[in-house]
Amino acid sequence: MLRTQQPRFQGLDPGHRACQGCGQALAARLTLEAAGPDILLANATGCLEVFTTAWPESAWRVPYLHSVFANAAAVAAGMEAALKAQGKDVKVIALAGDGGTFDIGFQALSGMLERGHDVLFVCYDNEAYMNTGVQRSGSTPHAASTTTSPAGVARMGKRHLKKDILAIIAAHHIPYAATASVAYPADLRKKVRRALQVAGPSFLQVHSPCPLGWGHGSELSIEIARLAVQTGLFPLIELERGALVGAMPIRQIHPVTDYLKPQSRFRHLFAGDPRAREELAHLQALADHNIEAYGLRGEMPDGLDSEGADTVRRGGLRSA
Amino acid sequence: MPIMTPGAFAYPGTSLAFKTGGWRTARPVHRWVPAPCHAGCPAGEDPCGYVGLVAEGNIKGAWERLVASNPLPAVTGRVCDHPCESACHRGSYDSPIAIHNVERWLGDEAAREAWEYPLPPLPAGAKTVAVVGAGPGGLSCAYHLRRLGIKATVIDRLPLAGGTLRTALPGYRLPREVLDRELERLMATVSFLPHTSLGRDVALEELLHDYAAVFLAPGRQQPHAWDVDGRVPRDLHAALPLLEEWVAFGKVPEIHSAVVVGGGNSAIDMARVLARTGAKVHLVTHDVRPAPGVPRAVAMKAAPRDIQQAEEEGVVLHLEHAIHHLILRGEKVVGVELVRVKKLARDDGHYEIVPFEGTETVLHVDQVIPAVGQKVAPEGMESLLAARGFFAVDDAGRIPGHDGLFAGGDARVGAWGTVSGAVGDGRRAALAIEAYLSGQPHGLERHPEPIQFSGLNLNYFEHAPRGEEVLLPPDGRVGTAEIAAGLSGQEVALEVARCLSCGTCMACDNCWTVCPDQAVLKMQSPAGMRYLTDYDYCKGCGLCAHECPVGFIAMVEESS
Repeated sequence: MLRTQQPRFQGLDPGHRACQGCGQALAARLTLEAAGPDILLANATGCLEVFTTAWPESAWRVPYLHSVFANAAAVAAGMEAALKAQGKDVKVIALAGDGGTFDIGFQALSGMLERGHDVLFVCYDNEAYMNTGVQRSGSTPHAASTTTSPAGVARMGKRHLKKDILAIIAAHHIPYAATASVAYPADLRKKVRRALQVAGPSFLQVHSPCPLGWGHGSELSIEIARLAVQTGLFPLIELERGALVGAMPIRQIHPVTDYLKPQSRFRHLFAGDPRAREELAHLQALADHNIEAYGLRGEMPDGLDSEGADTVRRGGLRSA
Repeated sequence: MPIMTPGAFAYPGTSLAFKTGGWRTARPVHRWVPAPCHAGCPAGEDPCGYVGLVAEGNIKGAWERLVASNPLPAVTGRVCDHPCESACHRGSYDSPIAIHNVERWLGDEAAREAWEYPLPPLPAGAKTVAVVGAGPGGLSCAYHLRRLGIKATVIDRLPLAGGTLRTALPGYRLPREVLDRELERLMATVSFLPHTSLGRDVALEELLHDYAAVFLAPGRQQPHAWDVDGRVPRDLHAALPLLEEWVAFGKVPEIHSAVVVGGGNSAIDMARVLARTGAKVHLVTHDVRPAPGVPRAVAMKAAPRDIQQAEEEGVVLHLEHAIHHLILRGEKVVGVELVRVKKLARDDGHYEIVPFEGTETVLHVDQVIPAVGQKVAPEGMESLLAARGFFAVDDAGRIPGHDGLFAGGDARVGAWGTVSGAVGDGRRAALAIEAYLSGQPHGLERHPEPIQFSGLNLNYFEHAPRGEEVLLPPDGRVGTAEIAAGLSGQEVALEVARCLSCGTCMACDNCWTVCPDQAVLKMQSPAGMRYLTDYDYCKGCGLCAHECPVGFIAMVEESS
């Protein structure tokens, strides 16, 4: 049967209950393709855990442990310590959403990084608590409307900024931390492999659109994720021991409105009133700041980043 | 309890038991859409198809795909004005694929490897069709008839096949040996009666009696009469006979300075040939340079590259000019009076040539050579030619009111006037003849609309420069030395890799990569459809269709 003969490792089976066009499901599938099969997973409570483990089935094809919301990193650290005690060289990956990373799971994550466990922590960043009904998180971008930061007379969506989690992680001086996006699968897989190669803790933040929570069509998940990168709002960067070692150049820089307009969580920014114009200008300034701070204008030696930018070739030849 | 090795495939306990396909409201389907190069080719070639096969390394397969519509790729790769490249979507991205050079290289490879045209065996009792004229239109018709299992006998007044390709195309554009190599293999597929003139050696009625059907492709051999206000110099030469003389013997009468009148290929070639003999040559035409956005009716019919090369070789162009008066001494030309003109569109859509008073200038020349087109030499076909001297045919090449008679190529009303146009006429007529012989109704060929540029997802491509061939420098262009060098095999490989494969799957794996549900399965077989959608699990999110770089996947509503 065709499904048994696919020339790649299938770590996440279909039949899972993710919504149509789920960015997180795609990100998890791509992560496992690059990491599997010899890995163990610890997964914090959240969408990913709920949609993959409807009793009595599991969509996972690797050993999988469900932790509570707050402690995926602590559970993964324990698994790694136990494997080390048994003399086994098997990698452990912790999976969590942005709530389980930026907010609720943060102290466990910080501890895991500080103790130097050989664990890859992957955060699927969909920028709100989607599983419980789109409440704001520390990762929700500025001016996005959620059920707990609604746009209206008093506020233009979330008042605060998106937490710069990567800078906080980098401050732990860990060997490898990076951002990735479902819009660039080759880049994502490359970063997963690189993260698993280093000894010690590593961290990956994967931008994963949520069609339901962000309010866009399911077919646009990749388009939106790509625009987040191409506007400069979500830079794809790599840090080693806290130092910037790589940034994917943007081939054609888009204005932030290209990214914001298709999403209903930003709809209030297009009302045309002075408040909306100011917020749009603010978001554009944030993007411009990123482009400058990370040098995203293609000043790197390979100005096109032909490896990372997912150029397709006849016959399926891709760089990763 | 089953024991699973890491990564092994098993069903028990997995979510595969839960079929999410029921959630779907729209399903992705694979849907081939014609590429613009295909829609733009008068010969009916599908460049997107054979360029893709070259990219896959299947060179012979690519050639066979190519000669399924055009048996003369080494010729058309050199002389066609390649409307396919004007249509190419890559032109809207950076610059179009050099399709003509891929075509030329395939034709040359086939000659080098002596590949035989792929033909089915002839059925017992195959009928025979007469084809009048061994130019590109006639040869194409005969070849396509043979592909359809019908024999063809080609008659021509000349000793060798090739028609205008042989008699009037200068060797610097189409070297004789290239033509001979291609025709030698093509002529093996049909029977050929040289030295046979319609009207002199055989009558049309005889052909209709002896053969199952007749295809007329005599071309245009008779120059239009030309004068200025009724005056004609005594030593007037028309371009075509002069050109034929140069092509056949390498010589023309000694001319010091000339003005060639016309904007088509004959005019440009005539001017270039005279420039090669050392003459000072002017070219006068009502038209403007062909360019994107310029209406066909006001653009010179010659290809832009040939116009440019003529200028490099010293031909002086007088665009949007006409000859107002001939300045004669006795009956010999000593000069011409030019006037600026413009082709202006009238309300009924026709164009009118309007001269502008006060813009007259004088050119001192000792020859005026009209190259203002030809008409069909009518011998033996007088009764069939419509008032203007051409065959009036329908889209399938049938001559209305004359069962079993078909016509095409330059001899028909509204002809393309190019080699690829004639090749396409021959192919369409062959299909109509097959239908006529088998008594089937003949549906005309219908092309669905080509894919729009916006139907591609360009995020998955990279800019790359177009492969440019080396040209002889102008001072090296002597005699019949071929000017364009074509591309090498390596350069062709780079060029075909640039193809955006508009509307045709190129097996890039993108749908397989972006499906969050692993509902796209990759097939191992090299032939046929490369990916299969598992509708048991496909939720219909539409990511594969939206992200398909080439627009091969469409979402269609589920019916219930």
